[in-house]
Amino acid sequence: MKKIITLFLVLMLVVGLLAGCGGNNNGIGGADQMDIVYYAYNAEPILNWDPSVMFSNGVIILNNVYETLLRFDPDTKEFEGILATDYSQSEDGLTWTFNLREGVKFHDGTDFNAEAVKFSIDRTIEMEKGASYIWSAVEKINVVNDYTVEFKLSYPAPLNLIASSPYAAFIMSPSAVQNNGDEWFEQANEAGTGPYKLESSSMGDEVILAKYDDYWNGWEGEHFDKAIVKKVSETSSRRQLIEKGEADITHNLPAEDVEALKNVQNVEVLSLPSFTNLFGFFNTEKAPLDNVKVRKALAYAFPYDDVVNYAAGGYAEQSRGAIPKGHWGRGDDLFQYSKDLDKAKSLLDEAGINQGELKLLLTYMSGDEAEKKAAELYKAELSKIGVELEIRAMPWESQWEMAMDTNAQNRQDILMMYWWPDTSSPYSWLYSLYHTEEDILFNLAYYYNEDFDEIIDNAYALSGEDLDASEQEFIRAQEILIKDSPSIFMFDKEDVWILNSSLKGFKPNPAYPLVVYFYDCYRK
Amino acid sequence: MKNYIIKRILLGILVLLGVIAITFFLTRVIPSNPAAQWVGPRATQEQINKATIELGLDKPLYVQFGKYLKDLFQGNLGNSLRTKQPVVKELKTYIPPTLELVFFSTILAIIIGIPLGLNSARKKDQPLDHFCRFFSVGAVSLPTFWVALFLQLIFFRWLSLLPLGGQLDTRIKLLYEVPHYTGLLLFDSLIDGNFTIFFDALKHMLLPAITISLYPIGLVARMTRSALLEIIGEDYIKAARSYGLKEKLVMWKYALKNSLGTTITVLALSVGYTLVNTFLVEAIFSWPGIGSYIATAVMSLDYPAIMGVTLFSACAYIVLNLIADIIVALDPRVRV
Repeated sequence: MKKIITLFLVLMLVVGLLAGCGGNNNGIGGADQMDIVYYAYNAEPILNWDPSVMFSNGVIILNNVYETLLRFDPDTKEFEGILATDYSQSEDGLTWTFNLREGVKFHDGTDFNAEAVKFSIDRTIEMEKGASYIWSAVEKINVVNDYTVEFKLSYPAPLNLIASSPYAAFIMSPSAVQNNGDEWFEQANEAGTGPYKLESSSMGDEVILAKYDDYWNGWEGEHFDKAIVKKVSETSSRRQLIEKGEADITHNLPAEDVEALKNVQNVEVLSLPSFTNLFGFFNTEKAPLDNVKVRKALAYAFPYDDVVNYAAGGYAEQSRGAIPKGHWGRGDDLFQYSKDLDKAKSLLDEAGINQGELKLLLTYMSGDEAEKKAAELYKAELSKIGVELEIRAMPWESQWEMAMDTNAQNRQDILMMYWWPDTSSPYSWLYSLYHTEEDILFNLAYYYNEDFDEIIDNAYALSGEDLDASEQEFIRAQEILIKDSPSIFMFDKEDVWILNSSLKGFKPNPAYPLVVYFYDCYRK
Repeated sequence: MKNYIIKRILLGILVLLGVIAITFFLTRVIPSNPAAQWVGPRATQEQINKATIELGLDKPLYVQFGKYLKDLFQGNLGNSLRTKQPVVKELKTYIPPTLELVFFSTILAIIIGIPLGLNSARKKDQPLDHFCRFFSVGAVSLPTFWVALFLQLIFFRWLSLLPLGGQLDTRIKLLYEVPHYTGLLLFDSLIDGNFTIFFDALKHMLLPAITISLYPIGLVARMTRSALLEIIGEDYIKAARSYGLKEKLVMWKYALKNSLGTTITVLALSVGYTLVNTFLVEAIFSWPGIGSYIATAVMSLDYPAIMGVTLFSACAYIVLNLIADIIVALDPRVRV
């Protein structure tokens, strides 16, 4: 026994010594000469590699590996041609023609052409998964010639916005799919045209991308050779990695960490509007919330400033209407509720509700600190006007299940939920959240208003042709929402990026949530 | 002995079946919508209906249970709702890193805990004993997340000696082919003879392993001490001493050997517990192990994954208990 223990001790000592020797060995040969960018991400970088299906975190990877026909810039409201060089639409808005870029090759060597576009979009539509519904207006895709493709629509829709969507709009190599089958993607494979190709991925933990030498836009100028996206779920670890200069970029740390990092040399903090906003939907089918006065009273009782400052750590702004700041269709002159408990009380009186009579249930997604804090702050305010609020944290699926109950009495009274767009259109919010639905899906205020439906449907059809005119219509529709008050517009979230100041060229685009376009970045 | 082991194995299988049944029905009565989860965050009703049929969720619960059992016997645990990957494949990916970590920390616990307990018992009520007691009580009661963050602060932030987290430096991954035979990285790199990877992996393992080992160190030290104190008073120890045998020989060979039974049982249970409760440490050290996998599975109500890990932890407990019982049963005094 003693011998064994001695042996172990000696072994450990040797091992410890050797590990110590390796300790300062930072110069690991060739890796230092390689220019690598390291993105520390808070969750799994990607869960589904299928470009037709992916509809979550994977957006940060696939937007570097695949490309879309167009890319939308929300600041200028203009479209950048990526795989398409230009496009036109017919007068009735039902035919869209895209001229494609020549000399582009997929990572597997296949040529990019009109057939590939038709194949990719058809595949996405037929699979009916992920965000494939964004193409619902498309009736037929025609290959006009090798580098021209034509979309026939069944109703007018802004195909330029749809084709630049961060999900479900990727163009993939037809031969890769034909040779390997549909399941090939899900086993962590890709066949895109993007500047980076997949080098390796360990499931759910880390993805390494390497530059694709034959990228159509070339590699002149400064670029990174490799990009690493790694799951670092602990905020304290992400902070330390950035502080030590090991990671180049990360995001959404707790407000106190962000404050501390602002004073650290070599660290830069960028806060920008994201297109994510937080809502509190009223169950408008259940008494007394079917009374607009009660809903308005509850909207006046919400502590907007406190929630922005304490729940969102100051990295947010009170919403103005349903469309977040920086996105087209946001009405800068729309009415904004503010906390006014006297008004709330008198509205409740008018509705015939006495002190202590109203008991409400609010649900939010468990694990979200901002939602939790906002709910608690709201509860405190409501108790001042004699309304009792029960707060219930639930996994999203359970929260949603309860919200979809066919009996309005069994549902929650208030549901908190974030929304972010699939395509960069106000329609993504207004249609999904407030348009009449046959079966309950995301209209979780159970709001039905034919006039509203008509305005937004028309505005959507108009948006392909005249973005400014359509914007006015979307704003008009939000006036109706403010009058009917089916929900509280809580706040528009900001994305806080923390980056190593040696990282240059980073241009966040909130239409592509949390995507870092590694091709644009370089080190200086 | 043979009958005893067969009996224990059969009993283990019975326990497993019970665990499967309970977990299966429990995960299904929780209000949730697996079909909606399967299709993703913004499903349309058609997509959900399609998935309900695809996943067989439209069938009665007992039919689903039957199918689950049938698949299970063919080694199929279904696909995770979140990642769509086969649960078996995911378990194979995530279990080895945790096994490696727990194995390493258990060795630490034995080589530190036993001498600690032994010396404590030998020098009962002397300063050394007080120190050991203080150390082991401290080791058991310090919250692991605090220890983990503290170690990171010292060794990464201040001393820059050890990495913050992960299993291997990414630059090393870029330069070398990472061997993959058993999934146990230290072992695989040794087989391959790649010492760069071996030492880098070891460096990455030190902090999480120390963090995890603290609790078993305290446990082993306390158990060894109390067991030894009892044995030291026994007649055969007195006899050994009166023969004039060296004190070290008496303690290490005669006393310690007889005191190990309880320590091993307790240690085996603690290993079983640690295997599925490392998620705090794994999260802090970005360790790609089963702990973080369990945490995400539970948080997202991913029931095939929850079933998979429950099965794994039940198996781990049963096997470890069996091993502990067999070791104890080898002692002629408790032979059945």
